[in-house]
Amino acid sequence: MLQKREKVLLLRTFRGRTLRIVREHYLRACVPCHSPLCALPAACSHDGKLLSSDVTHYVIPDWKVVQDYLEILEFPELKGIIFMQTACQAVQHQRGRRQYNRLRSLLKDTRHDCILFANEFQEQCYLPREKGEAVEKWQTRSIYNAAVWYYHHCGDRMPIVMVTEDAEAIEQYGSETQGVFVISFKDYLDNFWPDLSAAHELCESILQSRRARESESQESHGREYAEHLPLEVLEAGIRLGRYVQGTLNVNKYRAQIEAFVRLQGASSKDSGLASDILIHGMKARNRAIHGDVVVVELLPKGEWKGRTGALCDNDSEDKASSEAPSEPMPTGRVVGILQKNWRDYVVTFPSKEEVQSQGKNAQKILVSPWDYRIPKIRISTQQAEALQDFRVIVHIDSWESTSLYPNGHFVRVLGRIGDLEGEIATILVENSISVTPFSEAQLCETPVNTPEKPWQVSAEEERRRRDLRRTHLVFSIDPKGCEDVDDALSVRTLSNGDLELGVHIADVTHFVASNSYIDVKARTRATTYYLADRRYDMLPSVLSADLCSLLGGVDRYAVSVMWQLDKTSYEIKTVWYGRTIIRSAYKLCYEAAQELLDRNFGIVDEIPELKNLDEKSKQARLEELAGAIERLTDIARHVRAKRNRCGALELEGVEVRVQLDDKNNIHDLIPKQPLEVHETVAECMILANHWVAKKIWESFPHQALLRQHPPPHQEFFAELRKCAAAKGFTIDTRSNKALADSLDKAEDPTDPMVNRLLRSMATQAMSNALYFSSGSCAEEEFHHYGLALDKYTHFTSPIRRYSDIIVHRLLMAAIAKDEKMELKENLLSNKDLEELCRHINNRNRAAQHAQKQSTELFQCMYFKDKDPETEERCIADGIIYSIRTNGVLVFIPRFGIKGAAYLKNKDCLVMACGRDSCLEWKPGSLQRFQDRIISTTTGGESVTLHLFDHVTVRISVQASRCHSDTIRLELVSNKPHKDPNSELSQPSPLLLKSDLVREVTRCAEEAQLAQEVVAHAIPEEEYLEYRQTKGRSLYMLLEEIRDLALLDVSGDCGM
Amino acid sequence: MAGLELLSDQGYRVDGRRAGELRKIQARMGVFAQADGSAYIEQGNTKALAVVYGPHEIRGSRSRALPDRALVNCQYSSATFSTGERKRRAHGDRKSCEMGLQLRQTFEAAILTQLHPRSQIDIYVQVLQADGGTYAACVNAATLAVLDAGIPMRDFVCACSAGFVDGTALADLSHVEEAAGGPQLALALLPASGQIALLEMDARLHEDHLEWVLEAAAQAARDVHTLLDRVVRQHVREASILLGD
Repeated sequence: MLQKREKVLLLRTFRGRTLRIVREHYLRACVPCHSPLCALPAACSHDGKLLSSDVTHYVIPDWKVVQDYLEILEFPELKGIIFMQTACQAVQHQRGRRQYNRLRSLLKDTRHDCILFANEFQEQCYLPREKGEAVEKWQTRSIYNAAVWYYHHCGDRMPIVMVTEDAEAIEQYGSETQGVFVISFKDYLDNFWPDLSAAHELCESILQSRRARESESQESHGREYAEHLPLEVLEAGIRLGRYVQGTLNVNKYRAQIEAFVRLQGASSKDSGLASDILIHGMKARNRAIHGDVVVVELLPKGEWKGRTGALCDNDSEDKASSEAPSEPMPTGRVVGILQKNWRDYVVTFPSKEEVQSQGKNAQKILVSPWDYRIPKIRISTQQAEALQDFRVIVHIDSWESTSLYPNGHFVRVLGRIGDLEGEIATILVENSISVTPFSEAQLCETPVNTPEKPWQVSAEEERRRRDLRRTHLVFSIDPKGCEDVDDALSVRTLSNGDLELGVHIADVTHFVASNSYIDVKARTRATTYYLADRRYDMLPSVLSADLCSLLGGVDRYAVSVMWQLDKTSYEIKTVWYGRTIIRSAYKLCYEAAQELLDRNFGIVDEIPELKNLDEKSKQARLEELAGAIERLTDIARHVRAKRNRCGALELEGVEVRVQLDDKNNIHDLIPKQPLEVHETVAECMILANHWVAKKIWESFPHQALLRQHPPPHQEFFAELRKCAAAKGFTIDTRSNKALADSLDKAEDPTDPMVNRLLRSMATQAMSNALYFSSGSCAEEEFHHYGLALDKYTHFTSPIRRYSDIIVHRLLMAAIAKDEKMELKENLLSNKDLEELCRHINNRNRAAQHAQKQSTELFQCMYFKDKDPETEERCIADGIIYSIRTNGVLVFIPRFGIKGAAYLKNKDCLVMACGRDSCLEWKPGSLQRFQDRIISTTTGGESVTLHLFDHVTVRISVQASRCHSDTIRLELVSNKPHKDPNSELSQPSPLLLKSDLVREVTRCAEEAQLAQEVVAHAIPEEEYLEYRQTKGRSLYMLLEEIRDLALLDVSGDCGM
Repeated sequence: MAGLELLSDQGYRVDGRRAGELRKIQARMGVFAQADGSAYIEQGNTKALAVVYGPHEIRGSRSRALPDRALVNCQYSSATFSTGERKRRAHGDRKSCEMGLQLRQTFEAAILTQLHPRSQIDIYVQVLQADGGTYAACVNAATLAVLDAGIPMRDFVCACSAGFVDGTALADLSHVEEAAGGPQLALALLPASGQIALLEMDARLHEDHLEWVLEAAAQAARDVHTLLDRVVRQHVREASILLGD
């Protein structure tokens, strides 16, 4: 059946000798062709994806085309692509793993119409390489031969186009076989896809950048950087301990000078280095870009440098020189890059004046990336002038040692600078978030639910599921106006007096089959993205807001967890997991539920379900509902108390308060009594998550998706302890319980903000909670620090999180396993699950960053049109939370802004006290201490600012063309700000973020209206809809803890 | 050679085989006239030559003689030109001693040694080309040689290696696959009874996966048995024709 051939390879050994290696190569008659036109479908035994049958031709790219134009081949418009194995291997060998993985994921993507044909294993397609034949020639010959075979294999019915960049091949093979055409890639696009302008532009830009590269390599003038060492040397060096390996992190605020290498895994233990390694300057960074995995050689101790603690902007290139740096830390230089982590970057073209100054080489233009951490990129384009006012995406192609900047090519335009949509698109691209709308194929998979054709519970499902519609009082508690209700609760007394608590979660996996189109899409998104003014759903709205959502008064499928509790001690006796049908009786909002809990039945009008009842039955129903909520609260209190005894961190209780208190406003740090209902609901969800985690771990010990929250590193608490000491508090960070207790004690009666700031510093010091696969970690590491649970997962929000969908599938499989039923679907293996977890964690991080950046964008847009000198709103009260050598970091509770305020400006003038304690610039000097900073003028006057002092600041926006605008703070007075109408506005002293969003959006829209004649105003209700689901459940809670943490707008440097 | 893909997404191995497929096996018995039994085997590009002398009297020190069974003496060597880089191997180095011991254990389990007490059986194996699975090739060659010598055995001993890549068990590893450093299991099987004569495992493997790898190796060994059986029958037929029956 198999034929054996031998391949002779010549390899170079470590010592540089050539080695002749003979490898076997087996050929077979039947290799799956993945074409529906296949003449022998039985022999080819297709599984996996097939090419679609409605294409006019198949296209086979040559190896060079696959290498250079993969981005264009990724266009979904291009259909019927056959990648030959020869071409794929060429990519693997010459372009490295990153590009190859990209090709692999393209092939796996069921949405994309392309397949791989293993031509080298087919007996008729395989051509041995002849003696003296160049590899390139042989590859082209093999691919052509395979193309001809494929044409005949499909019964000569489907014309095949082979695209190649090799002019000789076009000449030689062009007319050899009828039905197999050989043309160049440019011709192919021109002839077959004349309308696909995006592809043409991309093609043009790739071609140009290649030409530029070629001409440059011919010039090859003086070296700008040292050459990277070869891979073998690097690996040997790492093993011997001469080099260390790590990820390069560029300092955002001193991108030109400072970068740090965070050590990875084993190397940090061996080298005995506790801290990161400083890479000082671009020369030492040696062409590595933020995020690359690099190999570093440590410099001798004498050349070690310190990092700078001063605040500074990015604009000025070298101002750190004047400052005295802190004590030296390990410093090194990059000697090689193990893995490049290049992605697409958003850049801005230089303005007209700057272009002229660049002068002589008008073809090549240096563009500035939006992200400060990325160096300028040189691209060749003729459209520079036309693209001046736009944000565009470029791709980095190479960075030669002879070139000061990397070379790249232009990919596409995002939008105008300063335009809301353009800026939002920028944020999305910079976080690698793709928000393409749901395709036809994906929407086809969803069931319909229209007034004409309402969706109904099927009889078969009714038989299989436990029916709770008549037996249980099920209700949901959510923020006002919420649409995607994914959890509901129930509680009832059983006949023996015990209680039965039920948590019912929307059964998303019933509608989203594993590996369906929607599933693939949801997996790539991994989460619903919330930006300041909009959201991008993970699932189509027919599912998220309708069929999966547990709305009141309609039948819905659910996955339920039900506990039987002892009537007095509330000990859990038994637990039941399974699929159910429920009908939620009430869809309550938190406020209404709280009123009911307080036996305040005045809110009865707010419950729509009770509107049409007479007074008596209304009262009875209310009584029943209030009783249920009461019992629920009772149980939750109990469970929580038990968790607290185990050392649960009370910290997050505070976060709940902060977070859930203001559904729409994550910046609201004003103290407000939390509703107990919030905690009740949160507690029930934690309980459900915990029990599901236990269940799936027991059933699948090596492939369960769990969530861990590792204990924080003690050294991260140093700043917190220092700050607390300034106010005379001590913080004990040894365990989660001790930390929570000491934070509770650190309360300044005169200033509630102190405690809040301390708490957010504590949360910032924590590690991130992460998803992981239970097979990849020892059992002791499963622990959840914040919740003090041994096992935890996410189960309760499958509409918004992909991790929950996986957990649902695992739970279903676990139930099936218990009942000895066949497992319906293949579960992910530990390795696949680990990869998926990494992806989800990564996406979650991107979602957080995008949310934070969009909030900052809106803040800037809000303040942009205000004149800081006259507008009253621009003067606000701030609190100092960190001291730096030339300024202080200030938090403004009213707007939730954190930023740096300078005490020393560029002309070396310092702040001095003027009339009415107003501050003004005067010559003088600064003195910095642990907890205060003193500025003394030459005249002898001095101003002292302490940690946690209240000051008055003026907010203005620092516009930036290439980057995002930033908020600038300026100290006005060292006394707290007196708001003239503070008494009036006390009940709602803050500008809600949502108002801010609305105002900015309105401005943006007005501008748009002025520009365009056709206006499409977004109705106001939509904002309500957008804001609603925030901060409802634990997911947002844990994630937004990070958001709440005082991330500086401008000063992460130092200390 | 950064990251050679041992098993592609389409299920092909580097040399074009699928996970459970063996390399091409060719074998001949009776290649030397002066020895009691001899055989030559090619498993893919791994080539081994086995020669058997005996049973005969104990050579050397008589004290080694066993009162109740025959002594099985195995010696392994590999040619200087057997690997990619030409390398002189000292006689009796650690690797060949170990291999000799393994072979001895394997064949003590298979040969009916109690039929020849106080005598000795010598098995010499030389590897001419090493391309992965040398132990398996040696065992298979030696089996044929022992059969050729007419020494009574319980059963064929068939050996095969197996590895584990990306959640899939691979049968009959080639040199490239062995060099990648994954877990590797060598199995010598008595196919008729399903008894295991020798089982050796390199590197770490989760015990959940062991069963699959073991099954892959056992299936491969049974496949080897079918092939060897065919070779023996062919040889016997040829021999009987030559003898003029």
